[in-house]
Amino acid sequence: MIGNKFNPLSGEEIELIHSSSLKVLEEVGIKVENDSAYEVFKKNKAITSGDLVKIPRSMVLDALASTPSKVVLYGRQQQHTLELEGREVHLGTGGAALNVIDMDSKEPRKATLRDIMLLAKLVENLEYVDFYIRPVVAQDVPREELDVNKYYASMLGTTKHVMGSVYSIKSFHEVKELASIIAGSLESLKRKPFISFITCWMRSPLTLDPQATEIMMEVVREGLPVVLSSAPMAGSTAPITLGGCLVQLHAEILSGLALSQLVNPGTPVIYGYVPSAANPISMDYLGGSAEFGLLNAGAVQLAAHFDLPNYSSAGLTDSKIPDAQAGIEKALSILQVAMAGGNYIHHAAGMLESMLTVSYAQYVIDNDILGMVSRILRGIEINSNSLAFDVISKVGPGGNYISQKHTARNLRKEYFFPKVMDRDLRKEWTAKGSLDLWQKANHRVKKILSDDQPPKIPEDVDSQIRKTFNILIKGH
Amino acid sequence: MELYEEIIQMMQEGEEEEVVALVKKCLSEGKDVQEIINKGLIAAMDIIGKKFRKGEMFFPEVMLSATCMHAGMKILKPYFKASSKKQPAKFVIGTVAEDVHDIGKNLVAMNLSAAGFEVIDLGTDVSPEKFVQVVKKHNPKILGMSALLTTTMPHMKETIAALDSEGLRKSKRLKIIIGGAPVDQEFADEIGADFYGNDAMEAVTIAKSIVTGKGK
Repeated sequence: MIGNKFNPLSGEEIELIHSSSLKVLEEVGIKVENDSAYEVFKKNKAITSGDLVKIPRSMVLDALASTPSKVVLYGRQQQHTLELEGREVHLGTGGAALNVIDMDSKEPRKATLRDIMLLAKLVENLEYVDFYIRPVVAQDVPREELDVNKYYASMLGTTKHVMGSVYSIKSFHEVKELASIIAGSLESLKRKPFISFITCWMRSPLTLDPQATEIMMEVVREGLPVVLSSAPMAGSTAPITLGGCLVQLHAEILSGLALSQLVNPGTPVIYGYVPSAANPISMDYLGGSAEFGLLNAGAVQLAAHFDLPNYSSAGLTDSKIPDAQAGIEKALSILQVAMAGGNYIHHAAGMLESMLTVSYAQYVIDNDILGMVSRILRGIEINSNSLAFDVISKVGPGGNYISQKHTARNLRKEYFFPKVMDRDLRKEWTAKGSLDLWQKANHRVKKILSDDQPPKIPEDVDSQIRKTFNILIKGH
Repeated sequence: MELYEEIIQMMQEGEEEEVVALVKKCLSEGKDVQEIINKGLIAAMDIIGKKFRKGEMFFPEVMLSATCMHAGMKILKPYFKASSKKQPAKFVIGTVAEDVHDIGKNLVAMNLSAAGFEVIDLGTDVSPEKFVQVVKKHNPKILGMSALLTTTMPHMKETIAALDSEGLRKSKRLKIIIGGAPVDQEFADEIGADFYGNDAMEAVTIAKSIVTGKGK
């Protein structure tokens, strides 16, 4: 699917933002409290003073030249291959939420490792969710064992591309080894990476997170795909004006590109961002704001202008439950960012309460939103079949098209059919129990999860993994 | 058996020419006409009806299958009368007085004839007197009435009263089924109709159950 149908910035405005970002890097600089990153910048003739690094324009231009304009992320089935380039659109889950809304009680509870596996299974079966970022932090697993277990639980449930963050260099290597066992070897994993990494290496404004930067540099050295994700909040960690927020965001990501390309020129990195506005009352993150969609769409344009594969955000909401507010806020931001052409739009399914809570039912509801958005992106096809002169002439004035072959032959490809949106007449709706969307979505969740599907890691590979790692969830 | 499976498959896909060719092939292999209808065409429409109920097929697709059914029946018709043991059941259908909406009514009629009924279609704006007259003349098993407008629905009640005043439901064991966008079961009960059909497929299911004696 191709976006490029919504462009809030003009070409001239993109250039203005870009030159302001270059000026920020040259004149303001970034704070680097990580020694190895500091050394890399210093060795390559960035201007350093104290922990400040000022990045010259030429360093940024070199980075732009060596960053690949296309990154291919694989699934463990051919049809799940994602090509990130241009205005190509893919939509999937996101987040590191703490809570899950329980299917039965409808109350939030702490997320577990089992949730990661079950949500992966759910996503495996949702037609319009293209990839799986582990959605929750499993709170029943010790931190040292979490990374390998969360990637394992994800891959047990889905063959779609799996992405996540890691806590340490050690756990990065464990996850890499886990995926290599599944791939057969590290080489085949690198050839077709079906897992990848997110690093929140930037702590806005303009400050590298020492630990995450260390991990980012290690992933980069290995040459595995990595997202450089920056999450400035307009009004608290970035200027309140959307233009200023984009200037800072762009500068931050350019600094990351520069670092990654100095460490390993040509390594696949993805221009990533989760910008939004801060709530001027509580100063919390506002996922459901209209500005959230605008900022992400604008950032898609910035990445695309420099041929950089991007990772963007849409589908957040500030609502606590799958309600009308959630539907409105999600639909608006997903539509904006997809129409802009986000290559890898995360948070697009399942998330509530900004990034704090997920709901099983919400994934199913959002799958319908993604389906509708995909249909909108496909646009209106014009050709002799769709112009339909023959059938207009055959039916003539006063006839009807219901029994026409043209109708039967075209309806499935021309229309999108949602899975849980209600389209019944009232009498049918009543007969089926007058269910609201949340209830209907819960039914679909239970149907999918109760379906007996084989685990997505083969038994022999599974036992090999269990010999190497302390896996805390049942596989076969 | 394989030929019938192919017919069933092609009917679902709405491939009229394929269905016609397969029916001809059945005939050339000397298969019994009634068997071709039952195990091929009608078996297909049953499956299609079930798929429609489950939401696996859409209405225009069902209509395309019904077109195939018609095409198949047309091939069989010359042979049909000779081998048929019993006459098909008659079904009189029309849109009520002052109402000229006939899309739904036509769809029901088409599906009924695809299901093997002899359909006598009186068209639109059919007065109670006309319905009575036709019932007397043709002795149908079932009378179907359709209305789209809330303002013309009362004519259904008038028609039923006219039929009952002549005792036709009793003397001819006639069953009355009604349908149309604003009509529902409650209204059917209120005016004393025997059955209500929610859509064209349900109308056929009910009509079949009346004929086989499984209706209420």
